[in-house]
Amino acid sequence: MNRPTIAWTRVGLPRRSFLKGATALGGLATTGLMLPRAAHAAGGTLKTRTYADIRSMDPAFSQGVVDEEIQAAIYNKLIQYKPGREWGWELDAAAMVEQADDTHINFALRDDIGFTNGFGAMTAEDVKFSFERIIDDALESTNKPDWGPLDHVEVTGERTGTIVLKNAFQPLWSITLPYIAGNIVSKAAFESVGGKIDTQPVATSGPYLHAGWEPKQKTTLKRNPDWKGEAVAFDEIQIFHIDDEKAAEIAFEAGEIDFTRVSLDSVERLKSNPIQGATLDEYPSLYYVWVGMNLDNPKLANLKLRQAIQYAIDVPSIMAAAYFGAAEPSTGIIAPGLPGHRDASLTGVNADLEKAQALMAESGESGVSLAIDILNKSANVTAAQIIQANLAAIGITLEIRLHEGATFWELGSNEDLELVLNRFSMTPDPYYATSWFIAEQAGIWNWERFRNDEFDAIHLAAQSEADQAKRAEMYARAQDLMEESGAYKFLTHEATPVIYRNSVIPALRPDGLPLYRYFGAA
Amino acid sequence: MLSFIIKRIGLAAVITALAVTALFLIIHMIPGDPVSTMLGPRATPEMRTALEERMGLDRPLIVQIALFFGNMLRGDLGMDVFSNRPVTQIVLGQVPYTLGLILVSISWAAVLGVALGCYSAVNRNSLGDRLTGVLSVSVIAVPAFVVALYSLLVFAVKLQWFPAIGAGEAGNLGDQLHHLVLPSLAIGLSWVGYIARLVRASMLEVLGEGHIRTARAFGLPEGRVVFGYALRLAILPTVTVIGVGMGFLLSAAVFTEIVFSRPGLGKLVIDSITTRNYPVVMGSVLFSTLIFVVSTTLADIINAILDPRIRAGK
Repeated sequence: MNRPTIAWTRVGLPRRSFLKGATALGGLATTGLMLPRAAHAAGGTLKTRTYADIRSMDPAFSQGVVDEEIQAAIYNKLIQYKPGREWGWELDAAAMVEQADDTHINFALRDDIGFTNGFGAMTAEDVKFSFERIIDDALESTNKPDWGPLDHVEVTGERTGTIVLKNAFQPLWSITLPYIAGNIVSKAAFESVGGKIDTQPVATSGPYLHAGWEPKQKTTLKRNPDWKGEAVAFDEIQIFHIDDEKAAEIAFEAGEIDFTRVSLDSVERLKSNPIQGATLDEYPSLYYVWVGMNLDNPKLANLKLRQAIQYAIDVPSIMAAAYFGAAEPSTGIIAPGLPGHRDASLTGVNADLEKAQALMAESGESGVSLAIDILNKSANVTAAQIIQANLAAIGITLEIRLHEGATFWELGSNEDLELVLNRFSMTPDPYYATSWFIAEQAGIWNWERFRNDEFDAIHLAAQSEADQAKRAEMYARAQDLMEESGAYKFLTHEATPVIYRNSVIPALRPDGLPLYRYFGAA
Repeated sequence: MLSFIIKRIGLAAVITALAVTALFLIIHMIPGDPVSTMLGPRATPEMRTALEERMGLDRPLIVQIALFFGNMLRGDLGMDVFSNRPVTQIVLGQVPYTLGLILVSISWAAVLGVALGCYSAVNRNSLGDRLTGVLSVSVIAVPAFVVALYSLLVFAVKLQWFPAIGAGEAGNLGDQLHHLVLPSLAIGLSWVGYIARLVRASMLEVLGEGHIRTARAFGLPEGRVVFGYALRLAILPTVTVIGVGMGFLLSAAVFTEIVFSRPGLGKLVIDSITTRNYPVVMGSVLFSTLIFVVSTTLADIINAILDPRIRAGK
């Protein structure tokens, strides 16, 4: 065998070469290529994270918080959510807004708001256009329900007008005006591009400008130099699309983002090993998680059986194992802080095994075998396993069926559905929660096929009820009805833990979602 | 040579058509309704019907396939129903990120792997050869996502030398390369070991052949014998493996894009499958298939250029 010697194949690192290499590395470091990163917020750029890519910058077609986080910064509304721990709103584009009577809301716009790209000052015509286009059937806006009974907007002056409703609608102040459907766009700008836009705004008016969108990567906002309102803190906001919370946590620890939501299972670690120069805050969430039972399935036709299941499920165990103790048990579909939140549920949060067994005996059922459908998230799997163990204690065998997202969200139409572990998103008004459980929604979003005339009547009446105490009572009663049907065991509203660098003063809604226009620098 | 290339391109077109048809059928057969996902919970039945019509979902599957291929030949892959942007534009916007990641990963892996393979073959059974062997097998055994996570923790979080997320500022090549270091390390590392072992084995075989002995007998410089004659033949299996391995590289890119929150085809495919965004799924799949087919075809052509016996069909 030949074993020729070739000089370059010899491994060797003479002292001079080592020194040369080390010097080169040092050079790289000094040029910044390998320098440790510092927090960015202090430099005038806020770097933050969103869990999904944007879908639309058109308020008529936005579908949730991801779009709205950006829209709230680049557009104006008559009123905006007020940052803090309690739900409320403050004036934005409106200099004045008042409820004249049940169906008339008068407004006057500020005179210092203008649209970009030469589309002029914001007028009442723009407000009329923005709101009425959403209820126009021809536009096919999925946000039409947010405007409920809007009839029209009357323009009474260049910057004054009246929102006219067909009937009283309380959610107007909590989920219409300060949220997606309340964004005011430029009539002239939208008409110049055919009446609707996609991901590229044609004219904006807010304190930040939409400076760029790199799909699947980031959105950049820049300070609007023509903004006459309260000055914003940052020259630029970069919102990175990082879908995985763990990846976002690593990015935060690496100094690349200044603010992010973190996963519930990281809360304990971040508390015991805090990141230097950062603050962890916990906010309650509005989401609601529950175990539903399909009332149309003959296997679950027995009320006593359903009640036995309600009493057998031990919610604190689920909170500890699936949510790592970072979330609290819920009492219904309406979260604390909203009208209609109940202090306690009818079936309690701790399992009452004795009562569950007694109800099982009363039901006359034996050898019961059921299935629970769940979305393939680790918290759901853990929760389902605990429920499986809970039900085994009263003689019920439970099969866990996992589904990926698109498949899971199709299950509502499946008449053979038995138990389901479900989670719905929520806006800060109880009307939004009850709307999914009316009889009309059976088999669509009311997967339990819960039908109750009193519930439907409450849903209809409570949206117009001006007396807040009475309204709260109505929604509490609605949740009692849900629970009494035996079709629901409420688990939690989850939680929103967030972490931010101390160089940033975050401005968050009471559910922990960011309001970037109000973010400050420390 | 020309007829060889034409044959390979023809075969590539057939493979692409078959793969895309199969994937079209699979994505339409799995449960999940794109219309619900796209319109959200508050869509009316009229809106659902209108969108189904716009997406062509109300037509028989065979018609949908025929329409897809018809439009594809015209360069029209449809519109993304979420953003109302052309799918071709969306996919082409992501292809450079994935292609760049794959090419940088395989390039550095190939350069280092070939060098180590040559070193091991030339210094067979030496300490260096044995060390290279152990290291090669070790890195082959480590999955890309493990390398990705540990490199993130060490080089991005602890040392903060390299960025943890994103693909860098658009138009800033230096920044983009800086963002490529860790992802390409994650993807390329196991290929270094694999290529090194492959090249070593091929080199040992070729170095023992008659024409190499003849070259040495004529007193040709050793470097020329090894690189000019031996490596030219020994590299053939490596070229083929890299070509065929493009599928594995694409899979690794999916994980890496997610871990590093990089844009790219992998992330686009995952997101669009999750939301049953059929037009984008098909566009992404088409381009992924094209990358695979083009790379294997190129590997065949390079092999044919390097070894005349292949193009002669011997």
